[in-house]
Amino acid sequence: MTEELMLSGCLKNNATAQEALYNRFSPRMLGVCYRFAKNREDAEDMLQEGFIKVFSQMHQYRNEGALEGWIRRIIVHTCINILKKNKKFSDSIDITNAHSIHIREEMIPSIMQAKQVVECIRSLPLGYKTVLNLYAIEGYSHKEIAFMLDIEESTSRSQYTRAKSMLEEVLVRKKIIQKTKKKTNFFGAV
Amino acid sequence: MENEFYTDEFEQFLKEKSDQFSMYPSRRVWYSIYNNLHPSRRWPSVVISLFFISSLILIGYLNAGENSITRQINTEGTFINAPDEQITVSQSMSGINKGGTSSKPKKQQGQQIYSNVFSDVITNETDFYDYTIVKSNRPVHLFNNVTSPDVKSIAETAETNNNNENVIQDVDAYIKSNQIFADVAILNKKNKVLSSKMDNHVGNSTSITDNPDELNVSSINNSKNIVSSQTANNNKAQEFTLQESKAVINANPDQENNTAKNEEKAWIENYAFENKSPAKKWKGRLSYQVYVTPAVNYRKLSTKVKGSATPFANGDINHSISQKPGFGFEAGLGLNYAAARRLHVKAGVQFNYTNYNISAGQANQPVATTILLNDPSTGFSYSAARTSTTSNTFNGTASRPVTLHNRTYQISLPIGFGYKLSSENNVEWFAGATVQPTYYFGGKAHLISSDLKSYVSEPSSINSFNLNLGFETYMNFKLGTYNLQVGPQVRYQLNSTYKKNLALIEKPYAIGLKFGLTKGF
Repeated sequence: MTEELMLSGCLKNNATAQEALYNRFSPRMLGVCYRFAKNREDAEDMLQEGFIKVFSQMHQYRNEGALEGWIRRIIVHTCINILKKNKKFSDSIDITNAHSIHIREEMIPSIMQAKQVVECIRSLPLGYKTVLNLYAIEGYSHKEIAFMLDIEESTSRSQYTRAKSMLEEVLVRKKIIQKTKKKTNFFGAV
Repeated sequence: MENEFYTDEFEQFLKEKSDQFSMYPSRRVWYSIYNNLHPSRRWPSVVISLFFISSLILIGYLNAGENSITRQINTEGTFINAPDEQITVSQSMSGINKGGTSSKPKKQQGQQIYSNVFSDVITNETDFYDYTIVKSNRPVHLFNNVTSPDVKSIAETAETNNNNENVIQDVDAYIKSNQIFADVAILNKKNKVLSSKMDNHVGNSTSITDNPDELNVSSINNSKNIVSSQTANNNKAQEFTLQESKAVINANPDQENNTAKNEEKAWIENYAFENKSPAKKWKGRLSYQVYVTPAVNYRKLSTKVKGSATPFANGDINHSISQKPGFGFEAGLGLNYAAARRLHVKAGVQFNYTNYNISAGQANQPVATTILLNDPSTGFSYSAARTSTTSNTFNGTASRPVTLHNRTYQISLPIGFGYKLSSENNVEWFAGATVQPTYYFGGKAHLISSDLKSYVSEPSSINSFNLNLGFETYMNFKLGTYNLQVGPQVRYQLNSTYKKNLALIEKPYAIGLKFGLTKGF
């Protein structure tokens, strides 16, 4: 089924088209949810809620960008909204002392690199991994992240810096990446 | 976005790797979405679940005492939608051999590669071993050193020789000589010999664990990953398969130190916990419950009289006696299984105490009276002589008032379901029903006499077995690791409390408030 057919079918609330769209995008979207979630079951709950929003807001899709990108944004926002309902999340997002945080590194597999990297990200504390996911992988700016998570922009930046260095450390220890000199960007920031 | 300015190699690396990562959701996710989008066409989950449970019971019954395959296999042909906890195998995997027997797999031409991953499954169970062997149809060049004898021929030899011990030894030797694990899955619950041999053999590859369940899942999942990849892109899948297989074949235990092994094992244990295998997934879905239900017991009396002109036979008997509801309770232990997102199946054991009060008068001395019985052969009613020391306050004469208690003590096995009607944050609303086969192990029964003037104590008239139905709706409050359930319940007895030969029919029911505490395993 082509994307156009799926879209027109979904707009008519056609179950076959909806299932086709779901089948096409759900594996990757579950991968997105899994990075935010505590476990697979939570990720599936996020995916479910996200796709319900996708189908119910399908009429808002303007055909201007890639459909996958549009779906992904909805899924990410759904994940964040679900996380925000959790008290642990609001506690975690305010953590400022990185030294006191223990990473469950033993959780990190060594089967395949992609899976390894994802598990490394997931091993980070909740607040850290959320900011890192949003900034480094989903491409949101710190300003956008601050708005999404109801935090200060500076908090988002510091969370990300700590998350990144922590993740780098883990990836090096796991021999997934080699230790390299820290690069600075054009503005001198990390 | 400002991210563009900040993107360095590290972020690019993270993004690339994360984008490569995908997982296949379980079908229940789609069903839930479907139900949400099309409420008028809800999946008949209750009917399906009941059908599923019945099928399982039937299969279990039919296979009782025989060997059984430990994986869910259907013959519909696709692998794509299978979640981690569910392995569906193509039609070509029809060679399922039980008890060491062998049958040839059906080969179908023109099948897609992914529908033909497994060619043969052999299961067996002996006094010492349970094992399942899944032989792959992956291209032979991936396993250059795999030559005959293959597992199938081992099984065929075993069939001829009827010697299971040899099968184990041969399979072990086969695994050892061919350095494979992705194609062979072993369940070895009763003995660790085979696992430990494999440990020595393929080092710290992901399938190595002391837990055979993990071993099996890991092996099967590897195959499934391949299938998934092939679905997305056959070429990529081939590369992936090749890499993975090489990685497995090249694994050398001597190159890994003990620390690394321990770390790996620790991770495998954690990973297995987080991504529960089919064998363990039930733990996440299963919970136990203790509950108590204070209840008020009511009853409805009727008569079944033929050919009798006694007062008992005329009019509504409920109006001829003075009775009032009594307090009873039930307490029980149950197991809940979350069969679907909204559906919980439950079973347990329950104790019930029922009580009903009758206002009567204590007679000064025993009086001769009769109760009305039915002749089972003719159906006609007749009076049977009894003595009584209590009189009906409506009709009799008594020296002092007394309250008679019709009591029963019951043990029942409630089996039923709960359906989640809605949920909000930590509160869920359920409706449920149970069928309760019940054994009555004691009690008191005071029967009204044929002339409605006396009560006769006749405990032996209580049916030993009966069937009750329970209907309930309750709120489920999540309190940390516990769930508190509170809600009204109605319990109705389907058949009369009394034996069939009695002309008096009693149908009690109880309305109570159930309090339950549930905790997961």
